[in-house]
Amino acid sequence: MELHPEPTRLQPWLREIWGYRDVISILVRKDFQTRYKRASLGILWAVFLPLIQALVFVAIFSRVGHFQHLKYSYPIYVLSGTLAWSYYSTAASVSSTAIVDGATLTDKVWFPRCSLVIVPVFSNLFGLFTSMVLLLAAMPLFHAHYTLRLFLLIPAMVWCILFAFGFGLCTSALHVYFRDVRFIVQAAVLIWFYVTPIVYPASALKSIGPYFAYNPMTGIINLFQYAAAGRFGPMGKGFLVSAVATVLLLVIGLHAHRRRDRLFVDLL
Amino acid sequence: MTEYAVEVNHVSKRYMQLQDTAMLLKSIMPFNRPKRDIFMAVKDVNFTVEPGETVGILGRNGAGKSTLMRMVAGVSAPTEGMIRVRGRIAPLLSVGVGFHREMSGRENIYVNGMLLGLSQEEVAERFDAIVDFSEVGDFIETPVKFYSTGMFMRLGFAVAVHVSPQILLLDEVLAVGDVAFQLKCFDRMRELQNRGTTVVMVSHSMHAIRLLCPRVLLFRKGVLEFDGDAEAAISAHHHFLNLDSAEDHFGHTGMPAIVAGRTVQRNGVDTSAAEHDDEVEVTWTIRFDIPVQSPQAVFRVLAEDGTLAYSMHTRFGTEWRDFAAGDTAEFRVKFQPRFGGGGTFRLLLDVTDTKGHVVIGTDTHGPNLYVPPRMGTAGLGDALAEVFIADRIMSDHPELTMIDARTAPVSEPQT
Repeated sequence: MELHPEPTRLQPWLREIWGYRDVISILVRKDFQTRYKRASLGILWAVFLPLIQALVFVAIFSRVGHFQHLKYSYPIYVLSGTLAWSYYSTAASVSSTAIVDGATLTDKVWFPRCSLVIVPVFSNLFGLFTSMVLLLAAMPLFHAHYTLRLFLLIPAMVWCILFAFGFGLCTSALHVYFRDVRFIVQAAVLIWFYVTPIVYPASALKSIGPYFAYNPMTGIINLFQYAAAGRFGPMGKGFLVSAVATVLLLVIGLHAHRRRDRLFVDLL
Repeated sequence: MTEYAVEVNHVSKRYMQLQDTAMLLKSIMPFNRPKRDIFMAVKDVNFTVEPGETVGILGRNGAGKSTLMRMVAGVSAPTEGMIRVRGRIAPLLSVGVGFHREMSGRENIYVNGMLLGLSQEEVAERFDAIVDFSEVGDFIETPVKFYSTGMFMRLGFAVAVHVSPQILLLDEVLAVGDVAFQLKCFDRMRELQNRGTTVVMVSHSMHAIRLLCPRVLLFRKGVLEFDGDAEAAISAHHHFLNLDSAEDHFGHTGMPAIVAGRTVQRNGVDTSAAEHDDEVEVTWTIRFDIPVQSPQAVFRVLAEDGTLAYSMHTRFGTEWRDFAAGDTAEFRVKFQPRFGGGGTFRLLLDVTDTKGHVVIGTDTHGPNLYVPPRMGTAGLGDALAEVFIADRIMSDHPELTMIDARTAPVSEPQT
């Protein structure tokens, strides 16, 4: 092992992270297990929470919003969006504080710090997968049809994971230098939910609807909704914005971690 | 070309200290930028460690020892220079290794073992030995947040010494646990040394350093001041201890009698080390800020762990002489440091009123005196025991020769 003031080059750096895949996988498993260990319902909570949230939204907004005359199943639209969002918000907010919260581990022994960001992104996947299964099970109840579009759920999940990872990388690095990030992310995720077309279609907002396309989560959520509920409006611009944002977050986040990961510990 | 186990090449570490936490926000503002204190924790340090060597690191708190250890462990990058480490390294830095508080002891053994470079199967093989060594017993399934500090440390030490590291880094960890566990740690360290493990250890215990490290690096204010023989390094360390405490604390007691100077001499020469039979003379120059009638004194000697090794007070109650405000008086104590196990002893002086009821001045940062152990002995006192077995004297160890602080090759500080 050699240590220089200069950061490791990209390829050896990525190779090093790959070399720690066993450790990451055990950390993911432990993270998942410890989270629900003490609860009597255990891992069922990973599914219940987003499901309850989604059902409440369906129950309330389908009455408030007059969405009955849409050409697609509104409950499935809400359900798919909420379940995807639920994964994203948990993974993003936990990973954004991962470096600082993992201080007891990072202080003593070296391993690539972005492992800590990878852990919550993966340990929350169980919830996402089971949510998607429940979504499929719920479709007939809400008059949605099984179509080939459902296969789009797979790229949608991958995209959502990548975006959450990129977001986590950037915010976790920032959080080391600026502890307010924890609360800023909490607040942002809260507001973000309402400016993303999850419980209502963008078109329902009339004039400000088109601006939703500039929200980088819109495209990703739309893909989930499109896969489950079908066509509901223009999506092209949203996809483009989401794709660009995902790439940018990943590039910036990986760059920041590569350059700084041996300096984080000095500020913890 | 020799393949070093550890190579530290012109390494410096600079820390930026910012006063408050809103630092980032402020530092990106165009005006009113917060002042950034630059602090050099480690300055241009050079040394190499051969495979199989054991090296001790000495220095006061803040001398840069831990910073250096973190860099050698690979946790933190140097600001300048290069560090090269060959072989599997097991760092055990300060209290609490890389344990996850919510996880059980068992889970932590796996995570930690794997972070230290073992595969899952290798950890499984060693699992029982680790649990055995750590003595945590049934607590192995309990989350480590419920562990006592001792259990926490023992488990950490157990993992680190069982991953068969080529290089073991220890920062202040041998001081943990009860005596029995410490002895076990020493044994294990010896075993690792014999197996050719390279060990770099930071310790404040002269005992541990002397016992385990033939070679010692002495750090002071981020600079590597001395690299060599353990006894010489220990002497030099005490020399610096006394210099530094003199710089830091002279006369800042806030009491009516203040320390204006102190010297420790052996045979009429300044020293910071002395042997059992030496006559040591320690002199405090005390200045009185108020008029004092017939002052008295208590001379105390504290051992490394703060226990009282010796104390004596003067004839309390005797009226003998008055001092006016502004007067100075020399308090001179002559003694022989007959402390069996040896070690670092702190010499303290309390100046009291005539009856010894009120302390009017105290030297809380008294000089340190290093006393090498008499061979084969331990404990605070020196009872001058002789042991005969079947009428043959068996306690006549050959004498240790002490290296004087003044002859130790250290650079004198500028004043």
